[in-house]
Amino acid sequence: MIDLAALKKEAKQLLKDEKVTYLLGYRQGSNGHRAVPAFIREPEEVEQLTWDPTCTYNLTRYLIDEVRERNSSEEREDRPVGILVKGCDNRAINVLLQEKYLRKEDVHVIGISCEHAGMVDEKKLARELKNQPVMEIEFGEGDRFVVTTEEGKTTISAEKILADRCLECKASYPAGAEVIFGDKVKREFTRPYKGLQEIETLPAGERWAFWKAQFEKCIRCYACRSVCTMCYCDECVVDSIELAVTADTTAEEKARKVRWAERSPVTSENFTFHLTRAMHMAGRCVDCGECERACPVDIPLRLLYAKLARTADKMFDYEAGSDPDQPPLTSSFTMDDPGDFIR
Amino acid sequence: MENILTKQALPRWIEQLDAYQIYAPVREQEGWKYAIVDTPDSVTLDYPNTVLSLKSILFPQREVFLEFHSQNGRDLEVEELLPGDAQSVIFGVRPCDAKAISLMDKVFGGDYIDNYYWKRRNQTRLIGLACNEPVSPDCFCNAVDGAPYSTEGLDILMTDLGDRYFLESVTEKGEELLAVEDDLFQEAGKKDQKAVKDLRSGAEKKFERKIPELQNMPEILANLFDSDFWEQESMSCIRCGICTYLCPSCHCFDINDEVETAAPLKGVRVRTWDTCQFPDFTMHSSGHNPRSDRAARLRQRVSHKYRYFPEQYDAFLCTGCGRCIDKCPVGIDIVEVLNKAVDYEG
Repeated sequence: MIDLAALKKEAKQLLKDEKVTYLLGYRQGSNGHRAVPAFIREPEEVEQLTWDPTCTYNLTRYLIDEVRERNSSEEREDRPVGILVKGCDNRAINVLLQEKYLRKEDVHVIGISCEHAGMVDEKKLARELKNQPVMEIEFGEGDRFVVTTEEGKTTISAEKILADRCLECKASYPAGAEVIFGDKVKREFTRPYKGLQEIETLPAGERWAFWKAQFEKCIRCYACRSVCTMCYCDECVVDSIELAVTADTTAEEKARKVRWAERSPVTSENFTFHLTRAMHMAGRCVDCGECERACPVDIPLRLLYAKLARTADKMFDYEAGSDPDQPPLTSSFTMDDPGDFIR
Repeated sequence: MENILTKQALPRWIEQLDAYQIYAPVREQEGWKYAIVDTPDSVTLDYPNTVLSLKSILFPQREVFLEFHSQNGRDLEVEELLPGDAQSVIFGVRPCDAKAISLMDKVFGGDYIDNYYWKRRNQTRLIGLACNEPVSPDCFCNAVDGAPYSTEGLDILMTDLGDRYFLESVTEKGEELLAVEDDLFQEAGKKDQKAVKDLRSGAEKKFERKIPELQNMPEILANLFDSDFWEQESMSCIRCGICTYLCPSCHCFDINDEVETAAPLKGVRVRTWDTCQFPDFTMHSSGHNPRSDRAARLRQRVSHKYRYFPEQYDAFLCTGCGRCIDKCPVGIDIVEVLNKAVDYEG
C-alpha cells in the first residue's frame, strides 16, 4: 500500500526547501469520484494530494508546456518541477530525455508504484456497476479495488475493471526513479500485446474494414494528440499556424502552403491524421493509454501504436522509454542490425 | 394538446410516419448516437443522452456549400449545394439539446439568414424525451434557466410514465405528427396529468449542480477579463476540442476550399466546426493571435457562453447537458469554474 502521509511529507519538504518550483500531482476533482491533475505551489496545498485508482493522467504531458515556457522566458528557471510518475509515465520522461527535449535538471521525479493493481477504466467500471454513480474508489488488497456506491462498499477484481493498458503493463513501477513510493511488484496478470494479437489474426480485408469504421467515427477533436506527451511538435501537421503572412506574401505563396489534411472529418483526412500520428509514435509511444482514454468516440488507438511497439521490439529488441541513456530508436544504428540492407 | 401513447404502440406510430426519415438514439460501443432507423421496432427511448449532441445533425461537422470548377483556368463555374429535401423526425431529443438548437436559431437566423442551417431545421421535427431524473451526475439544465421538462426548441415532448408516454405537442409541426389515421392516441386524463406533475417536481430536486450567481455572470466575468483567474483555472487544460465539439450550443465554424484537382480546377467550399481551443482559432494572417494561450482560450469558451451571448441575445449559451464536464480528459468543470469566479480575488 502507498503511504500517502509519507508522500505528502516528502512533497511538503520539497516545496518548503524550495527544491522544486511546483509539484505536479493529483487531487480530488469536483466531478464525482474522479481525481484531476493538481499543480501544487505552496507547502500548505500539499494536503490536497491524493492517490487512488482514478489517477490515470500522465502528468508528463504538462512538462511540454513547462519546457516551452522555460525556453521562451528570458531568465531561465533553474529549479526543477516536481512530478509524480507511475511506471508508464516514467517511460515518457525517459523518451523526452533521450530526445533531448527535456533536461534532467528540469525535473524532479517522484515515483509511485501501481503495485498489484493499476488504473481503473471508467467505462468498464460503469458497465460493472450498471451505471450506478461511484462515490469513491480505493486500492484494496492485492489486485482488488474497493468501490463505494450508495449501496455501500463492494470489492471488484482488477481483471474486471482495470484499464486494458494496465492489464498489458510490463512494469508497474517506475524503474530507475530515485524515489519510489510503494512496493516494486512484478505482476501476475501481465499480458503484453493481448489486444493486438486479437486483431492481427483477422485477414487484411477485415482489418481494413475495422479501421475504416473506427476512423469514420473520428470528430478530429485531437484529444489523442493533445493529451499525448510525445506530441510536442510546435506546429502539428494538422494545424497551419506557422504561415505568417506579410505585406510581401504573394497570393501564389499563400496558395502553395501545403495543407496535409483538410479539416473535414472524412475517411481520407481522418486516415491521414491518425496514420501520420501513428508513424510518429514508432519507438516513442510508452503505452500510457491516455489517447484511448481521452477519445470521446471510443477509437481503440492503443492498437495502432502497439503494432509499432511490437515491431520495434521484435526487429530491434527496443522498448520505448526503458532506458534514458539509450539513443532513440529511429536515430540509432548498430553493427548487428537485423536488416542486411543497412549494414 | 396532451395525449397518451402506450409503449407498445410506439412502433406503430413510427410506421405511420413513413413520409419522414426517422432518427433515434442507437447504441454504439459504450455510447449512444442519433442514427436513421429503418425498423420501427428497434427504436428504444430508454437511454441517457448521446455522445454527440443534436447539433451534429442540424449543424453537421462538415457542410458542403458549393462546388467550383474551371476547364480552362479562367472561366469559373460555381454551383450552390443546399442540403437535400428529406423531411425528418428525430426521436428521443433531450430538452437540453433542443434548447441549444433554439439558441442556434438566434445565431443563424439573425442579421444574416443561413440557408444551409434553415433548410435542415425547417425540414426537421424534434420529438423530445423529458428527463424524469438527471441522466448523468454532470447534468445541470435547471441551473442555467432550463428544465428537464422544457419544451423549448421541440415540437412534441414525451414523458415516460412507465408503460405509456405522455405527449405534449407544442407546435403546428407537432400537431401534424399526431394527426395519423389510427386510434393510436388517447386523450390524457387527470391521473396522467398528475403523474407528470409529480415526476416534474421530483426531477427538479434531483439535480445537484447549482450556479447561484447565474444572473450576475456577465458582470462577474467582465470584471475578471484581465485576471490571472483564467491562468489558474486552465493550468491543466490540454487544448483539445472535446468540450466545444460535444457541446450542443457551440457553433463556431471555419470555411475552407478543398481543391480536388488544380488543373483542371475542381473543388468544393466546405464549412467545418471550429473551436476556440485550437491554435489556429482567430489567428490573424499576420501570425498574431488575440487568444494565443490556454488561459485566453478557456476565458473565451466560458465568456462566450455566460457573458457575450447573454449580452447579445439575452440568453445563456449553455444548456447544462454536462458533456464538457463528463468528457473533459483532465476534469475541467465549467460549473466549478463559474462558481469559483464569483469569489475570486486576485
